[in-house]
Amino acid sequence: MNELLVNLAGGFATAATPLNLVWAFVGCALGTAIGVLPGLGPAVTVAMLLPITSQVEPTASMIFFAGIYYGAMYGGSTTSILLNTPGETGTMVTALEGFKMAKNGRAGAALATSAIGSFVAGTLATVLVTVCAPVVAEFAVTLGPPEYFMLMLLAFTTVSAVLGQSTLRGLTSLFLGLAIGLIGLDQITGQVRYTAGVPELLDGVEVVLVAVGLFAVGETLYNALYEGRSEATLHKMNRVHMTSADWRRSWPAWLRGTAIGFPFGTIPAGGSEIPTFLSYAMERKLSKHPQEFGTTGAIEGVAGPEAANNAAVTATLVPLLTLGIPTSVTAAILLSAFQNYGLQPGPQLFQTSPALVWALIASLYIGNVMLLVLNLPLVGMWVKLLKIPKPQLYAGILIFATVGVYGMRQSALDLVFMFAVGLFGVAMRRFDFPAAPVIVGMILGPLAEAQMRNALSIGEGKWGVFVERPMSLALMVVVVAVMVLPRMARLLRSRTVA
Amino acid sequence: MNAPHVRQALIALCVLAVGALLAVGAVSIPAAAGYAGVGPNFLPWAVAGALLVCGGTLLWQALRGGLRDLAPPSGASHGDWLALAWVSAGVLANAALVTRIGFVLSCALCFALAVRGLRGAEGRPAGGVRQTLVDVVGGSLISLPVYWLFTKLLAINLPGLTGSGWI
Repeated sequence: MNELLVNLAGGFATAATPLNLVWAFVGCALGTAIGVLPGLGPAVTVAMLLPITSQVEPTASMIFFAGIYYGAMYGGSTTSILLNTPGETGTMVTALEGFKMAKNGRAGAALATSAIGSFVAGTLATVLVTVCAPVVAEFAVTLGPPEYFMLMLLAFTTVSAVLGQSTLRGLTSLFLGLAIGLIGLDQITGQVRYTAGVPELLDGVEVVLVAVGLFAVGETLYNALYEGRSEATLHKMNRVHMTSADWRRSWPAWLRGTAIGFPFGTIPAGGSEIPTFLSYAMERKLSKHPQEFGTTGAIEGVAGPEAANNAAVTATLVPLLTLGIPTSVTAAILLSAFQNYGLQPGPQLFQTSPALVWALIASLYIGNVMLLVLNLPLVGMWVKLLKIPKPQLYAGILIFATVGVYGMRQSALDLVFMFAVGLFGVAMRRFDFPAAPVIVGMILGPLAEAQMRNALSIGEGKWGVFVERPMSLALMVVVVAVMVLPRMARLLRSRTVA
Repeated sequence: MNAPHVRQALIALCVLAVGALLAVGAVSIPAAAGYAGVGPNFLPWAVAGALLVCGGTLLWQALRGGLRDLAPPSGASHGDWLALAWVSAGVLANAALVTRIGFVLSCALCFALAVRGLRGAEGRPAGGVRQTLVDVVGGSLISLPVYWLFTKLLAINLPGLTGSGWI
């Protein structure tokens, strides 16, 4: 415990240098802004800014990127409440009750409970990260390649098979991502694969290119093609204030939301969709005012999911830092930011780069305070961003996309590839193929392949190595359960109905 | 078979094509298995096979009543291809010109073309010369600070019209 406090104090000392404070602040402010703006998410924003990894030192840029990530969750709720188009997928549930509250002139209370709830959950989750991460890291040292491979398989399964409408299309996306990840040098033997003789492809396809193409350019093209006539109404803001009754109803929901969100963030369950929905369902069941749900808007229905969302996002740092396993798209891109520095997140990171890890964790405490200030008294400033007309917004996004993609490799041809990926993204969105598995597949694929082959080397070429080790076997059972159980449940339900 | 199903079948064929392409490429990757028993050609074959299976299943679904559990796509049922052409022209012009006329001007042009397309998609008039000039200026007002931020503050190289790093 003592060692923990010493480490954390060291982290604060690094994170609180003026320059790092500026990075944290800019990250939080930028995160809030892109969270508020529809069309840009934290994943694509971090991806666009990956070129800075060539110039900025790792601690500063990780503090910056993390600020964007959780800042976007604060900002996303503002859009969900006022515009009913969620700024972020994680704030989708907030839109359910939040928008109803705004419609009934309670926008201020909804914004307040989501900002304070995000702060409470974010801070509690950071405390949990501080306590849990070193423990998990210590445990993770005992894991071998077979266990790591199974954990990665679990991440693949949840991100492609559990989320989204169709397992088949999720898996198709995943394998497309894995295919992109194959391009370049094989990690173990140095064998060249699928480069078609193009020297630029030896290092593989840039994550920036695919993420920005799929999300930013794809989104812009989709908007031009299909969404021109879609209208959204902006609700009026009023004073951001909660009555004492609002407080009484909010705080248990914040705590419950945090309790649901944190564990979900730490397991590879594909981010914050599931915990926010679970929290919403729970609040609806427990509420003393069930008649408000879906009608006038219940404050618990905003407070709980918002807390769950922020707790889950913060918790994704646990598997990312201790195991090197991303459980959301943004975490996957953070992982590739680490890789740009030649750092491999995992249990060793706590030994090799303790200053970075603890500064990052300390910056979470600082960032959450900054975000509370940015999102409570200053919320009116961000709401103005929603007045930017759509054509200018999306055309502007194209400029930022250009910076990110061109800045990474100084190649104009990459911009053409970016456009091609964008067109591909339009088709994927139109035919309901999820984009997240592509990104996770391309980043995690090469790592998983290396773990698999190392595991097989340990087992002297026998696949039995994955079932002979108890931990690996247990994880395999979980993977199978995650694949099979939801489908069984659906089948049983349809039987009982029929 | 109706039109959406034809399009779904085309998508399935694309997936099959990617799978086939991967398989063709995998032939030339040596096995070099070593102790592991699987070499650098294992995952390529596995992914190629998986994509062929996925593509085949997608095709089967598309031909037998369409893809299953399909969420209705958001937005209009028919695409505004003219708007898409304008936005595409902007992105591609940017790719062609960024090294010649510099980041700032190239992005301003991209912005103007894209805004024109997106405005058209909303059913508003695209505007004449005056509006286009306003859009170019608007685009410059975004790209200039971004350019300075990257070249001056972060020392990341972006192409300029001059070598000064200011434009």
